[in-house]
Amino acid sequence: MREKETTLYLGPQHPGITGNMMVKLKVTGDTIIKAETHVGYLHRAFEKLMEARNWMQCFPIVCRICVPEPDPNEENLARIIEELEGREVPERAKYIRVMVLELARLGTYLLWMGGQSGSMGLYTMPQWTIGDRDYILDLFEALTGGRVYHMYIWPGGVRRDLPEGFKDKVLKTMDYLEGRLKDYDDLLFDNALFYKRAKGIGVIDKSKAMEWGVVGAPLRGCGIKHDVRIDEPYEVYDKLKFVVPTAEGGDVWARALVRRQEFEQSISIIRQVMEQMPSGEFYNKVPNPLNWKVPAGDAYVKTESARGEFGYYGVSDGGLKPRRMHVRGPAYVHGVSLLERILVGANIADVSFIMNSLGTCPPEIER
Amino acid sequence: MQNNLELENKIAEKIKIAFQTAEVQVQRKQRIKVNLNEDLVHPFLTFAKNTLSYKHLSHISCVDWIEDNQFELVYILLSYDSLVQIIAKTRINREKAEFPTARNYWPQVETYEREIHELYGINFVGNDHLVDFVLEDWEDLPPMRRDFDTVKYSQEHFFNRPGREDAQDVRKTVTKHSGEELPDLAKIYSVRN
Repeated sequence: MREKETTLYLGPQHPGITGNMMVKLKVTGDTIIKAETHVGYLHRAFEKLMEARNWMQCFPIVCRICVPEPDPNEENLARIIEELEGREVPERAKYIRVMVLELARLGTYLLWMGGQSGSMGLYTMPQWTIGDRDYILDLFEALTGGRVYHMYIWPGGVRRDLPEGFKDKVLKTMDYLEGRLKDYDDLLFDNALFYKRAKGIGVIDKSKAMEWGVVGAPLRGCGIKHDVRIDEPYEVYDKLKFVVPTAEGGDVWARALVRRQEFEQSISIIRQVMEQMPSGEFYNKVPNPLNWKVPAGDAYVKTESARGEFGYYGVSDGGLKPRRMHVRGPAYVHGVSLLERILVGANIADVSFIMNSLGTCPPEIER
Repeated sequence: MQNNLELENKIAEKIKIAFQTAEVQVQRKQRIKVNLNEDLVHPFLTFAKNTLSYKHLSHISCVDWIEDNQFELVYILLSYDSLVQIIAKTRINREKAEFPTARNYWPQVETYEREIHELYGINFVGNDHLVDFVLEDWEDLPPMRRDFDTVKYSQEHFFNRPGREDAQDVRKTVTKHSGEELPDLAKIYSVRN
C-alpha cells in the first residue's frame, strides 16, 4: 500500500534554535520527500538601510546580521572602507582584530555544540556550553562594553585599546576552555550515540560541494581544504601558525569533527596573538564620521567566520553613504538551496539536527 | 599586501584573448575585475567555469544606477585552483530589466536570482522559480530600487505610536516636557568639518 503524503510545517518558531525560519516538508511516513525553505520572518532591510546611512552609521546595523558571531561583519565592512580608501591599519589593531574574531569563533562553536546536542535530546551539553560561552562574553564586555554586539572593529583599527589586565584574563579563559574540552569529548564527541546519530546523516556530495557554493566546515567536512584565513590571508593570519582540519564523509559527523579540531586551533591562535601582539597605536585617525566621503569604487572582501566564508560586496559612488552593500553569509546557500537538497531522504527528527550542522542562520539569509 | 601579480596577470591575459571587448583589470592580489557587454556574460561564465576552473560562484549582486537608467549585475567567482576571485560585471537596461538565467551553471543561482527579482524586479528568463523569497505578496515597487521611497511607504502602511502622531523631532518632545534645549549634534559636527 502506498503511504499517504503529508505536508508538515517546521518553524518559524526556532526549529532547533537556528533562528526564525520555516521549512515546509512533504513527508511519507517519517521520510522527507521534498523540503522548501521559507524565510522572511527576520527581514529588516539592512542592505536598504545602509544606503541611507553614513558609512560609520552602518556598523550598528551590520553586526545584527549574525547574532552569534557579529564580528566578521564589522571586520568586513571596515576592510571594504579601508580597501576603497587605501587606509592603513596599525599592526597592533590587526592583532586585536584577530583576537576578537577568534574569540567570536570560539563563542559560536560553543553555541553550536549546545545546539547540535540539544537537537538530538542531549540537554546537558547546552547547559555547559552556554555557560562557558558567557566567559567569552565577559571578555567582550570588558573590551567593548557590549556582550553580544560590539561595534568595536572600525575603519583604521579598533575603537579602544585592551583594558588593563585583559591579556591575563584572555589567557586564563583559554586555559579554562582547553580544560573543558575533555568534558565536551566525554559527553559529545566520544559519545557512541552521537556517532551513530550523526554518521551518514545530511551527506553533501564531495564532487558537488564546490559547485553548490558550500563553504566553511561543511566544505572541509567533505575533505576539501579551503579556509579564507589561509587561502586569502587577511589581518595577520599569515603570521600565525595553525592547521586547517578536514574530515571525510560530508555528513553531520564529519562537520562535527572539523569544528571540534578548529576549536583547539582557535585557542592556539589566540595564545599566539597574545604573545606576538606589538605595542603601539590601535587606530589611525579617521575623518569626521558625519562628513566622511569614501572614494568611488567597488570591492569584495571576505572573512572565514565560524560558519564559513562571509563576503561583503560594497560599492561607493564617492558620497557620504554606501551606494550598495551586499552581504553574502554562508547560510545564504547552506540554509536554502543546500538544505532543500540534503533534507530529501532524511527523517523528520533529523531536520534541526542537519540545520545545526550546517550553521543555518536566518538573519544573514534575509538581511 | 603582496605585490607579485604574475598569476593574476596570466589569468587576465587569458580572458583578454578570449573576450577582446571586455575591460579586464587586475584590482589587487587575488582580485580581477571584468566588465562585459551583456551578451558576453553567459559565454564568459561558461569559459570561466570550464576553461579557467572557476567552479565556485560566491554570489550575484545587483546595483541600481538609476541616473544611467541601468542595473549592474555582478557575478563573483572563485577558483579553488588559483584562489583568484573574479568580479564580472555587466549593465542592463533598467526599463526592460531582463536577463537570461545562470541557473544551469550553478544550482544555488536560483536563490540569488529569486532575491534580485524580488528586490529589484529583474526578470531572469529561464528561471521558473522566481517566487516570493523574503517578502510576502509584495505589490509595490521592488524595494531595493533607488526610487522606492521608504518614508512614503512607511507613512502609507504603518501608524505612529500614540503620542507620536505628529512624528516630530524627538528633541522637541524632550524640550516640551523638560524645558531643556538639546543641540542638533549632527548639524554642528557636519558643518565643523
